[in-house]
Amino acid sequence: MIRSMKSAFRGIAVAMLLLAVEPVRAEYLLIQLKVYGLDCEVCARGVSASVGRLAGVETVVVSLKKGTVELLLARGNKFKMSDLRNRIRENGFRPMEATVTAVGRSNGSKFEVLGSGESYDIGSRAAKTDAIVEISFEVH
Amino acid sequence: MKVVLALFCGVLRLWADGHGPAFGLSTATLGAGDASLGTAMMWRSGVYMLAPYFSYGVTGNFQVSVSSPFHLNHGNHPVGRFTGLMPGDPETEVLAAWRFHHNLTGVGTRNESTLYVGSSVSTQHEPRTDGPPFHRMPGFYLGAATGHISRRFYVWSGVGYQRFASVGGDHPNPTLLGSLVLGWRPPFLDKEFPKPDGRFFWETTGESLGPGWRYEPSLIPDTPSAPPVCDSHHCVTPPGPTGIVAVSKSQAVFSGPTFLWTWRGVALQSGILFALWRGPSGVQPVDRYRAVVGVSYFFLKGRK
Repeated sequence: MIRSMKSAFRGIAVAMLLLAVEPVRAEYLLIQLKVYGLDCEVCARGVSASVGRLAGVETVVVSLKKGTVELLLARGNKFKMSDLRNRIRENGFRPMEATVTAVGRSNGSKFEVLGSGESYDIGSRAAKTDAIVEISFEVH
Repeated sequence: MKVVLALFCGVLRLWADGHGPAFGLSTATLGAGDASLGTAMMWRSGVYMLAPYFSYGVTGNFQVSVSSPFHLNHGNHPVGRFTGLMPGDPETEVLAAWRFHHNLTGVGTRNESTLYVGSSVSTQHEPRTDGPPFHRMPGFYLGAATGHISRRFYVWSGVGYQRFASVGGDHPNPTLLGSLVLGWRPPFLDKEFPKPDGRFFWETTGESLGPGWRYEPSLIPDTPSAPPVCDSHHCVTPPGPTGIVAVSKSQAVFSGPTFLWTWRGVALQSGILFALWRGPSGVQPVDRYRAVVGVSYFFLKGRK
């Protein structure tokens, strides 16, 4: 009886350990991109459909009045900002500045969104540390 | 009554981009991988024309379209092109649109220019009152449009020129078309996506149809002798005089309102232009107004 309880506890402990050591993911979480040239419902629908097909995108909200495309991204995505910008251009519009929330690592003034291979100069906000952090920043 | 039927029973064209001048030339193209399928009912002085079309966005600035309007009944009009982006006669046309200038200047605002190159072949033997039907023959179209687009106002101006090859001694008249489109989205239609979108346009078109020629003794003699018709081996001088086709050579200016409504990938459009000035020739009927009603569906999945 005691032996079987020990075995059960050991199994639970191993499972918890496995969960705990799951690698910390780095990715884009939220993007609000300014887009120039969007003027009509069909334009917005085309952008929404096209951007929504990018891997990792959970929801897309297009605003004609603000001229923005907002993306909410799934955890563990391999989304690239460059793919989003290309997709906007393919629809005939112009991607501009963006507000980004992402998980990554700071290195000097650079913030690297691990897994995407993309990094941004965020100036003094960056701290030289190996820690994975979640921050929001502007991309111009 | 016929006009009402044409407007409400028909389904008319909207050209490809969702910006929608019904008659004039505009600039926008589909996104890469997007497509649209639609049809239009066009009406001019008792002649009804159904015009299905398909467009595909190759890139964000390059689009290919195929349209194939055909007559549901027959009139006595000169060959013409009373819309900028579709033949005005029974022809199947492939039209390439290249937006070569594209300056996106702000939220909802752009200045852009598009070049159109098209090739067509006539598909119906149209009965004519001034002689036998023309032979089927290829046509060529070159057009350009430039415009300013914003959430509130639209302005486009464009010009197009269509001409035909000579086949069997027939040479339909060339057409020069100019257009000016003013668009307005009033505040009550200025809704946030994904609510329905509507716009009003005031379109003005001017057309100048050149002379059509053929070798038929029944026509008005205009030149003393027919030029030779040649193939790769020899030349033959056709019998009979060369004449100007009576139903050709005319000018006209039309102007009027059109409306576009889009929602969930569907576009509905209708409009009517009234003749401001016209200079018909021969025995052709007088166009007093022209109308169009249409529907399009946009396949906006883009690329994976």
